Amino acid sequence: MNPIVEFNNVSFHYGEDGPWILKNCTFSIKGNESVAIIGHNGSGKSTIAKLMNGLLFPQEGEVYINGKLLTEESVWEIRKDVGMVFQNPDNQFVGATVQDDVAFGMENRGIERKEMEIRIEDALEAVKMKEYRLTEPHRLSGGQKQRVAIAGVIAISPKVLILDEATVMLDPKGRTEIMETIGHLQKEKDLSLITITHDLHEVMKVERVIVLNKGEIWATGTPREILKNGSELQKIGLDMPFLIELSQELKDLGVNVLNEPLTTEEMLEELWILHSKM
Amino acid sequence: MDITFKNVSYTYQPNTPFEHNALKNVSFHIPSGSFIAIIGHTGSGKSTLIQHLNGLLTPTKGEVKIGNYTLSSEKKLREMKELRSKVGVVFQYPEHQLFEETVEKDIAFGPENFGVPTSTIKKRIEEIMPKVGLSNDFLSRSPFELSGGQMRRVAIAGVLATNPSIYVLDEPTAGLDPKGQKEMMDMFYQMHQEEEITTILVTHSMEDALKYADYIIILNQGEKYMEGKPEEVFLRESDIQKVHLQVPESIQFLKKYNEKFGTQLPLTRQSTKEIAAQISRTL
Repeated sequence: MNPIVEFNNVSFHYGEDGPWILKNCTFSIKGNESVAIIGHNGSGKSTIAKLMNGLLFPQEGEVYINGKLLTEESVWEIRKDVGMVFQNPDNQFVGATVQDDVAFGMENRGIERKEMEIRIEDALEAVKMKEYRLTEPHRLSGGQKQRVAIAGVIAISPKVLILDEATVMLDPKGRTEIMETIGHLQKEKDLSLITITHDLHEVMKVERVIVLNKGEIWATGTPREILKNGSELQKIGLDMPFLIELSQELKDLGVNVLNEPLTTEEMLEELWILHSKM
Repeated sequence: MDITFKNVSYTYQPNTPFEHNALKNVSFHIPSGSFIAIIGHTGSGKSTLIQHLNGLLTPTKGEVKIGNYTLSSEKKLREMKELRSKVGVVFQYPEHQLFEETVEKDIAFGPENFGVPTSTIKKRIEEIMPKVGLSNDFLSRSPFELSGGQMRRVAIAGVLATNPSIYVLDEPTAGLDPKGQKEMMDMFYQMHQEEEITTILVTHSMEDALKYADYIIILNQGEKYMEGKPEEVFLRESDIQKVHLQVPESIQFLKKYNEKFGTQLPLTRQSTKEIAAQISRTL
C-alpha cells in the first residue's frame, strides 16, 4: 500500500538564516495508520504538522501527500486530503451554530447543499454531537467544541487527520471525550490519524510513535517499544509512565520484572508470578 | 495570611435572564503557609473563586477574609490596591499578557504600579531571574522573541516581583512539555517551602495535587464537593469518579495491589522508588 504521508530528507528553518528546526527527517505514514508524534517543546512537532498541509514548505527534501509532491501549485489539492485540529477550541469556530460551523469547510470547497446535509449529519454522528446541531458555539464545553472542530474536518473527508495538541486546553472530561471520538473514527472511517501530544495515555492508544528530539527523528516504534525506554525519554524532556518507572525501580532492587507492563493488570500479573515463585 | 471563605455565593448578571450562580454557599479555611490544590471541571466555579482572592470579584453573599482584609457585598474594601499587592495571581497562559519592549520593563511593570522604588525593583529582579530559571542576558531582550516556555517564565517573574505573600496559580503548567511542567512546579514548591508562601494551585492534574498539596478542595457545579488531605480525598475513588475525575495512577495501582496481595501499603504521596521498595518487601 502506498504511503499517505511521506517525508524524504526534509529540513526546515524560519527566515533567511534561522537555525534548523527540522533536520533530515525521513518517515512515512500508511493509509489508516494511527501515529503519535511526541517530543519536547521546540522539538519540531508542530513544524512537521504545518509541513503536511503546506502551511510551511521545506527548504530541503520533499513532502508527498497521497502520492502528490507538495508545491505552491499542489497545495490546494493537498489541503483537501489533510485536515487539522489545533490547540485552542475558541480560535477555530466560525459558524453561528454547530451545523454552520461544520458546513464552513464544505462551502469553501463548493460542495452541493444536498451532499452537505448528508455529510453534516454523518460527521456530527461520528463525534456524537448530533443533538447539538443548532446550538451556539459559546454554549459548548471545550471538549464539545473540539469535537465539532473534528466534525468540520472529517466532513470534507480528508485522508489524514492531524490533531496538534488538540487536548491540552481541555479538562480531563474533555480529554476523555476526544480520545473516545478518535478511537471511534479510527474504526469507522478510512483515515490516517496523526496526533501530536505530550499525553502518554494518548500515546498508548496509537499503532506507532515517532519521537522527535531537537528537530531530528530520535526513535520510531510501537508504544511499547518506545515507552519501555522510559529513562531515555526522560533525558530528552519527556515523561516516563508510572508503571515503567516502577518496573525500573523494582529491577534496581532485584525484583526481576521481565516484560514491560504498560497496564496495572499486566503489572499485577507479573508481580503475582514472581510472588508465587518466591 | 489566612484565607477564609464564609458562605460565599457569587451570581453573574443577577436579576436578568442571564443570571448564573457560579458559586453556591462555599466555605473553607486555608491556614497561612499551606499549599492548597483546587480541582474541578470547566464551569465548576474555580475561576470565579480565585477572582475573589484579589478582589477582582466581591461575593454576592457571604464573606471572604484574606489576612485582615474583608470582602463582602456590604462594604467596599478601601485597601484594594494593598490587597492586590499581597496576592500574586498567575492567570492561565500568562504569556499572553506580556506587552513591554524588554523583559526587564515587563517584569518591573507590576511593582512600579504598586509604588516600589526603582532600586528595590532592580534588586528583586536580580533575585528572581535565577529562581525562574532565566539568565540575566534575557533582561534586555524583547519578550516576543522568546519561546513559549521562556515567555511563561517572564510573566511569572513579573508576578514574583510584586513580592506577594500569597500565590494563586491557575493551571501554571498548561501547554508546557513534561520537563517544563516539572521544573515549573518544583520552582513554585521550593519557593513555597523556603519562604512559607501560601500557595493556591488550580489544576486538573490529580498527580500534581497529590505531589504538592497539603490539602485539596474539589469544586463541582459551583459547590464545594469534597475537601481534605490528599490521602483522605483519594480514598473516596467512586465519589471522585462521579464528577469525572481520576485518582492518581500510583494510588489506583497501590489499591489494586493491596487487594490482590492482601497487603496494606500506604496510599500516600510516597515516591515511585519508595513504592518499589515497599512492594519488594512484601513479595
